[in-house]
Amino acid sequence: MTYTVTVEPTGEQIEVEEGQTILQAALRQGVWLPFACGHGTCATCKITVLDGDVDVGEASSFALMDSERDDGKVLACCATVESDVTIEADIDVDDDFEGLPVEDFTATVSKIVDLSPTIKGIHLSLDRAMSFQAGQYINLNVPGCDGARAFSIANPPSKGHEVELHVRHVIGGSATGYIHEQLKVGETLPLSGPYGQFFVRSSQPGNLIFIAGGSGLSSPQSMILDLLEKGDERQITLFQGARNQEELYNADLFTSLAEKHSNLSYIPALNDAEDDADWKGFKGFVHQAANTHFDNRFANHKAYLCGPPPMIDAAITALMQGRLFEKDIFMEKFITAADGADGQRSALFKKI
Amino acid sequence: MTATKKLNLKQKYQYLTRDMDWEPSYQKKSDIFPQEDFEGIKIVDWDGWEDPFRLTMDAYWKYQAEKEKKLYAIFDAFAQNNGHQNISDGRYVNSLKLFLSGVSPLEYAAFQGYAKVGRQFSGAGARVACQMQAIDELRHSQTQQHAMSHYNKHFNGLHDAPLMHDRVWFLSVPKSFFDDARSAGPFEFLTAISFSFEYVLTNLLFVPFMSGAAYNGDMATVTFGFSAQSDEARHMTLGLEIIKFLLEQHEDNVPIVQKWIDKWFWRGFRLLSLVSMMMDYMLPNKVMSWQEAWEVYYEQSGGALFKDLERYGIRPPKYQDVANAAKEHISHQLWSTFYQYGQATNFHTWIPKKEELDWLAEKYPNSFDKYYRPRFEHWDALQKKGERFYNPTLPQLCQVCQVPVLFTETDDPTAFSHRDTVYKEERYHFCSEACCEIFDNEPEKYIQAWLPVHQIYQGNCGGPDLPSVLSDYYHFNLGEDNLDFSGSPDEKRWNEIKGIKPLDKDDVA
Ligand SMILES: Cc1cc2nc3c(=O)[nH]c(=O)nc-3n(C[C@H](O)[C@H](O)[C@H](O)COP(=O)(O)OP(=O)(O)OC[C@H]3O[C@@H](n4cnc5c(N)ncnc54)[C@H](O)[C@@H]3O)c2cc1C
Ligand code: FES
Ligand SMILES: [Fe+2]
Ligand SMILES: [Fe+2]
Ligand SMILES: [Zn+2]
Repeated sequence: MTYTVTVEPTGEQIEVEEGQTILQAALRQGVWLPFACGHGTCATCKITVLDGDVDVGEASSFALMDSERDDGKVLACCATVESDVTIEADIDVDDDFEGLPVEDFTATVSKIVDLSPTIKGIHLSLDRAMSFQAGQYINLNVPGCDGARAFSIANPPSKGHEVELHVRHVIGGSATGYIHEQLKVGETLPLSGPYGQFFVRSSQPGNLIFIAGGSGLSSPQSMILDLLEKGDERQITLFQGARNQEELYNADLFTSLAEKHSNLSYIPALNDAEDDADWKGFKGFVHQAANTHFDNRFANHKAYLCGPPPMIDAAITALMQGRLFEKDIFMEKFITAADGADGQRSALFKKI
Repeated sequence: MTATKKLNLKQKYQYLTRDMDWEPSYQKKSDIFPQEDFEGIKIVDWDGWEDPFRLTMDAYWKYQAEKEKKLYAIFDAFAQNNGHQNISDGRYVNSLKLFLSGVSPLEYAAFQGYAKVGRQFSGAGARVACQMQAIDELRHSQTQQHAMSHYNKHFNGLHDAPLMHDRVWFLSVPKSFFDDARSAGPFEFLTAISFSFEYVLTNLLFVPFMSGAAYNGDMATVTFGFSAQSDEARHMTLGLEIIKFLLEQHEDNVPIVQKWIDKWFWRGFRLLSLVSMMMDYMLPNKVMSWQEAWEVYYEQSGGALFKDLERYGIRPPKYQDVANAAKEHISHQLWSTFYQYGQATNFHTWIPKKEELDWLAEKYPNSFDKYYRPRFEHWDALQKKGERFYNPTLPQLCQVCQVPVLFTETDDPTAFSHRDTVYKEERYHFCSEACCEIFDNEPEKYIQAWLPVHQIYQGNCGGPDLPSVLSDYYHFNLGEDNLDFSGSPDEKRWNEIKGIKPLDKDDVA
């Protein structure tokens, strides 16, 4: 049995199966709802039921208090529906979010490239083209691993029939271990996508700063290729961080793009190159490169950050100290199972 | 997917705020909002203001009306069932006397403060947020008084709380706190009350009082607490929004805001020392110790907050370390003071019972037995001899926080912390480095402080002797509202309610 759920204030409609949570269904059908923990403890996904019958499910009594239950509040990540339903979510309609539906695809490995000693480029051809926004990611199912793993798409949406991934080998990681050690050209893997809120806000003016660390070049690569293809004329500055020259990949690609496009600047930064006499570029962390380049002044820019959590953290601090704030900073943190809940957080920031 | 666009909460709220705004045509904006500039705060663009709570007026009235209905139904039931008979112990009511004369008037002062600054911002979002909070705070003051009014029929000392708030010596501590905030500029007021107080420190006030009520069987006050909780979530959000907004608007705001955070953290910390005493000494059933509460609600939560604020170039409050170190001492020092001045308080004081002294020793292993227990045991011995100690001289008050100079130096719990400074040939006295610094930053403001002890000596509070100040000016019923709990009419009444026979003199304490 399937029911229709209407999401206010946007009026979008989704089909929810019996037993499926509203959040699962919404995300699969390209309707973004705020969520974080996904299992009823954080209350981020609280919505109001305006009409219809909803089962609150396993919502924690702290995340959803009795009085709120009486007021028709539910947690989207736990709630299942028992009739057609209308809900209201506190969503800001992001004009740049296209809400492309999540679909399942079968991907065939077409090419595996050694980008660096720890990062492989995985090229997948899809059974049909995927519509996505540059910056979004897919969930990949890898043999022998429970659950899907998230990887950002590195190719621009104009090449929707393929998916290029930059996969870093995580020490002790089962999926990335498999990809690095066993995956063969010609193998097929199921994946689903596109997911995520990391995409260029084209409607928001301001020059663009991209800060990428490690395999976090994936999304920025897709976004920058897309911007250049579309002839966007804003200044684009890409900072790419790596440990050393061996780990720095696709530098040739961006060096030549920067030569061709006067609005693109490319600044690689190596943080472990003190003794590398050969390296003429920036020595230090990628956020320090950004500080130096912009003389600690980032106001009026839009910044897009992508990579491992510590790098994102350092970059946010640098940007804020250079007076660029939350609403102008967008990011994708490459979280792994090793990144536990990071201590006590204040409520000062919403998405940082 | 079909898309029939409807207004979302944010848009609805914008109609309520921005669209009720207009550009003046025949008056200068700076004449309409004359207080917006003098503090040195620079606002580049009011559109950067994120509405912290998107609650429209119709939803607000509906929601609050329903809460109120539930709340008053419970108050009525409490009164009909003589709920006061179910509290843990007669001494508990003294926390309510402190709350009603110390805190409820602050809710009213908050109402006035928000109503005032709600007129002063040229940004409509901030104006509406302040006006809504003003209404919340007015309700809090009213519902608190209603929650506690039942006790006034059965116990002493609750009959004239607003007047006492204005006049009684130690109540000038909370009163002057809010007067200081309300006589500051509008941005300092929000930094002081919305951020420093409502966001950073409020859990240290409300959790102890409300859990204290729950632990001690006071269902009326507990229910008030629940009804206020959802409002507080909004108030805390406003506190965060104002601080982010000021810090993001202009970098010149950062040092100004830092100074305010330093000041209001300290002012709040001094004010909350009254709560520390309530938690450790006045609640018959204890919730947690002051030290534990400070660790959870300030050191941990505040630590996380100030770590995030570092990104704006803000550091933790300047005298935070002094406050952290004082957590083992302030409640004991304060209760000792109130015990000595129990003839001049609108609530009763007492020597803790043996189990209570043991609880304190367990909670304060480094300080209690060493510095404070001997003092209480000494007074207890005097009391048993019929020589209950009352201190006949009036204390020296701090010019800024107005707490008597009773706290000690960080590195020596036996030496009073006392600072002084000379301004325009007058010497002023302070409880601490921090208060002295607050004075030095704005001496013209604090030389106007209305210090109760000075006023008594100057003859402005009735007199000539202390008893007539207490009865004529403070409206105390002498021998009923003040003095030790033991032997008080409150104690007698409680014993009658519970069918307890008066204790032998020797068993007291
Ligand atoms: C939105 C998003 C986009 C991403 N995009 C990319 C990308 O483009 N490129 C890229 O390289 N990566 C990307 N990542 C990161 C990538 O998803 C992870 O590296 C990947 O999921 C690791 O999978 P794994 O099976 O190899 O590791 P896992 O087996 O999941 O283990 C990861 C690490 O955690 C440890 N670990 C496992 N379980 C636990 C546990 N319970 N407690 C503590 N430690 C544990 C392991 O020892 C290992 O070190 C992205 C992540 C997100 C969230
Ligand atoms: S996402 Fe955390 S409670 Fe639903
Ligand atoms: Fe309040
Ligand atoms: Fe409040
Ligand atoms: Zn002081």
